[in-house]
Amino acid sequence: MIPKGNIVAATLVGLIMAGITGFILLVIAISWFSNAPFGLANAPAQPIAFPHTAHAGSVDDGGLGMECEFCHRNVTKGDSATVPALQQCWYCHQKVSGGDEEAQAEIDKLVTAYSDGVPVNWERVHRLPDHVRFVHEAHIRHFTMGDTPETQLEVKEVCTVCHGEVAKMEEVQPKQFQSLKMGTCLDCHRKYDVPTDCTICHK
Amino acid sequence: MVIKIEHKWGMVVDLDKCTGCNGCVVACQAENNLPINTKDLFMQKRAFEWIRIERYWEGEFPNVKARYLPVMCQHCGNAPCEPVCPVYATYHNDQGLNVQVYNRCVGTRYCINNCTYQVRFFNFWEPTWPERLQNQLNPDVTVRTRGITEKCTFCVQRIRRAEITVERRERTKLNDKTMAARNFMPACVQACPTNALMFGDQNNQEDKIHGYFEELHNHEGHSDSRGYRILEEIGTDPSVIYLKKVDQFKMEHSESHG
Repeated sequence: MIPKGNIVAATLVGLIMAGITGFILLVIAISWFSNAPFGLANAPAQPIAFPHTAHAGSVDDGGLGMECEFCHRNVTKGDSATVPALQQCWYCHQKVSGGDEEAQAEIDKLVTAYSDGVPVNWERVHRLPDHVRFVHEAHIRHFTMGDTPETQLEVKEVCTVCHGEVAKMEEVQPKQFQSLKMGTCLDCHRKYDVPTDCTICHK
Repeated sequence: MVIKIEHKWGMVVDLDKCTGCNGCVVACQAENNLPINTKDLFMQKRAFEWIRIERYWEGEFPNVKARYLPVMCQHCGNAPCEPVCPVYATYHNDQGLNVQVYNRCVGTRYCINNCTYQVRFFNFWEPTWPERLQNQLNPDVTVRTRGITEKCTFCVQRIRRAEITVERRERTKLNDKTMAARNFMPACVQACPTNALMFGDQNNQEDKIHGYFEELHNHEGHSDSRGYRILEEIGTDPSVIYLKKVDQFKMEHSESHG
């Protein structure tokens, strides 16, 4: 026979435990379905499935071996790498067709969007916080024009330092090669003896 | 150990040229994403500008002279705001700038209370803009949130931009010549219609502002020049020099005789 008081206490403890478990489950559920960088979900689906493997992948892997900066043209000139204008995609794809029907369907989407003049709303995958200034051009300059072999890379090799081997990714994942948190930046800045003053990155 | 300082930014304000037009105030507001100072904010005494024009009247009625004093963050060498920050959100960087790191700031407001010049401001409200102005926000400057302190940065985003541009185009470090050639300066300096504000590197021998600082440091307190720094007697070592206004009545008098 359990005294009455213990039953009340046990019920209370049980309710609290249930509440805590429910809360944890809720947090997991929310993070499971929300996108990076906080969530665990995959990269957001792009309006047109763009395979980096087919474009930038090496010729041996069935790609075209294109340079990163052929499409992300601003990467050697300015702050952001930029997604190319639709016209640039269309310029090749008015002639180049997809290998199979599935690929052709995606290219058709692109050609239709271009001829209708409707912009494609690409989903942004990598996003830095608002208070960070990151200049792609300066980093590429550092890694291509340095004195040591480590800093005399090709442009497309420089991209892999932070973004990983995008040429081998079917779609770019938000959980990528580097976490792109402040520690990542600082490790590298210290390694190459670059200033680590706050105002170098924070604006 | 001798720390080599490449730049030490400074400013010279020629009060003789200042007409009190408030151009610098507006330019700063636009450049640095400052919220619009509405009537409500003024009534609450929550309106702020990173650079303000202080106006003083001198003399009695018919012979009144208006004196203007643009006051921005003085980027003190011995800044009173820095040691009081518990989270190291404000510190002195190696270019002589007094830096406010917004994402570190927790809003204790100690620095505001300790600032001699009243040039640090607290965001009591979430800053808002009319919808038609939201696209004019400067992407190079953080939009500060409620609950943190902010202040003049000497437009550090423009200095960084200048450094990167000069290194890319000319493969040299930023210096006075390249800075002038590419026309890099803080927004207030750029906007000043009478060129009353001058911005430059105190350490650079060839810089146009170097002479003023040289003179001030060499003849401390006994200088014949017009240069002075506001409240320098309390030892804050500001990086902004003000050039005394030349009395116009005397000038006209001597000119008519000469």
